[in-house]
Amino acid sequence: MIRLEGVHKTYGKTTALDGLDLEVQEGEFFCLLGPSGAGKTTTLKTVAGLEQPDSGTVELDGKDMAGVEPYDRGVAMCFESYALYPHRSAYDNLASPLRSPRHRLPAAEARERIGAIAELLGISGLLDRPVGQLSNGQRQRVALGRVLVRPARAFLLDEPLSHLDAKLRQQMRAELKAIGAVRRTTTLYVTHDSLEALALGDRIGVIRDGRIVQTGTREEIWHRPFDTEVARAFGRPRINLLPGVIASDGGFRSADGKVELPLGVPVRENTDVLVGVRPRDITINGPGHELTGTVYVTEVLGRSVEVTVRLGEQQVSLVAPRADTAGLRPDDPVRLTVRPENLLLFEADRPERPGRRIESTR
Amino acid sequence: MTLQKRLLGWLADAALILYFVFALFPIAWMVILSLKPTNQLFSTYFSFSPTFDGYRTVLGDSEGIPFVRFFVNSLVVSVGAVVLSLVVGLPAAYASARWRFKGSENLMFTLLSFRFAPELTVIIPLFVLYQKLGLFDTYVGMIWVLQLVTLPLIVWIMRSYFADLTPELEQAALLDGYSRKQAFFKVALPLVKPGVAAVSLLAFIFAWNNFVFPLILTSNEAQTVTVGALSFLGGDRPKYNLTAAAALVSVVPPLLLALTIQRYLVRGLSFGAVKS
Repeated sequence: MIRLEGVHKTYGKTTALDGLDLEVQEGEFFCLLGPSGAGKTTTLKTVAGLEQPDSGTVELDGKDMAGVEPYDRGVAMCFESYALYPHRSAYDNLASPLRSPRHRLPAAEARERIGAIAELLGISGLLDRPVGQLSNGQRQRVALGRVLVRPARAFLLDEPLSHLDAKLRQQMRAELKAIGAVRRTTTLYVTHDSLEALALGDRIGVIRDGRIVQTGTREEIWHRPFDTEVARAFGRPRINLLPGVIASDGGFRSADGKVELPLGVPVRENTDVLVGVRPRDITINGPGHELTGTVYVTEVLGRSVEVTVRLGEQQVSLVAPRADTAGLRPDDPVRLTVRPENLLLFEADRPERPGRRIESTR
Repeated sequence: MTLQKRLLGWLADAALILYFVFALFPIAWMVILSLKPTNQLFSTYFSFSPTFDGYRTVLGDSEGIPFVRFFVNSLVVSVGAVVLSLVVGLPAAYASARWRFKGSENLMFTLLSFRFAPELTVIIPLFVLYQKLGLFDTYVGMIWVLQLVTLPLIVWIMRSYFADLTPELEQAALLDGYSRKQAFFKVALPLVKPGVAAVSLLAFIFAWNNFVFPLILTSNEAQTVTVGALSFLGGDRPKYNLTAAAALVSVVPPLLLALTIQRYLVRGLSFGAVKS
């Protein structure tokens, strides 16, 4: 279990962590998602004991880690920069934890373990090479192997798949969680890729400006995003956000009056709002509330098609099966449908509380 | 066009050869001087009967001047100074590259300031101190005073080597279960080996060439070649041939060291350490 409470960390004048609270349950795979500079790496290094928080507490398995040296914390970390020892071979890099005074294994046993891990990561053939001769993807796997090779209280993984090519990344993403050691061990996984977070995380924490904005399962984050930014972070194409006001009937009316939507959420009349609807929740000729617009552009994504539709001054994108979009050309009129329960309602961006989701009463 | 180019090339070659002669002439002159017999020392420039008598005299400790001992002294004192500076300076350089604390920059600057204070400004108080402490004309005294020369050099150069090394390598070692000391010795130090080689060579040359400290702080027992070579100029007639021979002999160790260490000087070992 990893627990951070009110952790502050500044470097000179820049604040890296601004009262960060985080709890990762025993055995959980927790994804920390955020843009670069949000404090993801600092969070990991604080847990590892490589950075000392200015204030706040870090607990591992319920024990306060203040003053505990990194080598006594029993966590393993995969650095985004790999941090492989350049003067040693891939094998010696993997063997490094197993030769250390704290995790020492007999040489034969270590060889077996390293062999198994290398097999798992597909780097068996590279073990004799100096790490300087490996490609970035290979180095990243060696770095990951150095983490997995020994038992740990927690794994801290800093963008461990970011430098793999797309195909390998997808494959590793699928395999990573199947690895026994990962399944059993509490894992804090840092990424800026929301797809990765959704695919891997038992729970996801969204970090921004050194604070956790929202924590939850992928369903919670997807269906109940904290604010417009979280909503925008997940899902490609991005969620459609239409600005407008609450009309007298309690529904939504866009600024130009061309889009009207019924809402399941009671909100005071004339409130400035943003209504959010995900591209996959808009259908062509399906059931639900109807909207009419004109096709702006279509883009084939494979089996589905992304269609951008003009609704008055607004544009929305939607993803529809290829069959539904057959024959659609730019400027063709099109009838769209949305189901009111799929609509998300946000406060209009205001400086003090920008874009918070308005709680549904459902 | 091509003729013009060729002419320019010849001119450049000629200029380079001219410079080459100019630059090498002092060394050539030393060699010539060292090969002259004593009786032809003042009578000719280039035509003489070359002899190795000068070298024989210098290395045979004749003329009552124990040059071989000076040579050994120089070796002991220079190697001792460099080793001591490495033992003290490498941890200091590492610490100053990794941990900023209050006054750390001032400390580093103080260390550097030893290098730009002329040695002559401190030599008289040092002489008095050394006489009183019994360090005068001893190896310990010479090695100690040479720290003024070698330590700032080693600390400052090695500091930048350590600073160029990403701290994440040592952090990885800490998480692998190694102590900070082990992280330093097993990870950081091997990666700055080329730097250590380069700076040791430099420090050795500076220590070897130092003149003022052995001139004032030694008399016989711990005297080094730089001062010792001048002993041949004393007496009724200055024996330039012997001085030249002594000087050339004393060039050998730094030269040998530079040649053996050369391959370390150019290796960029930290290549591939981290993605850039």
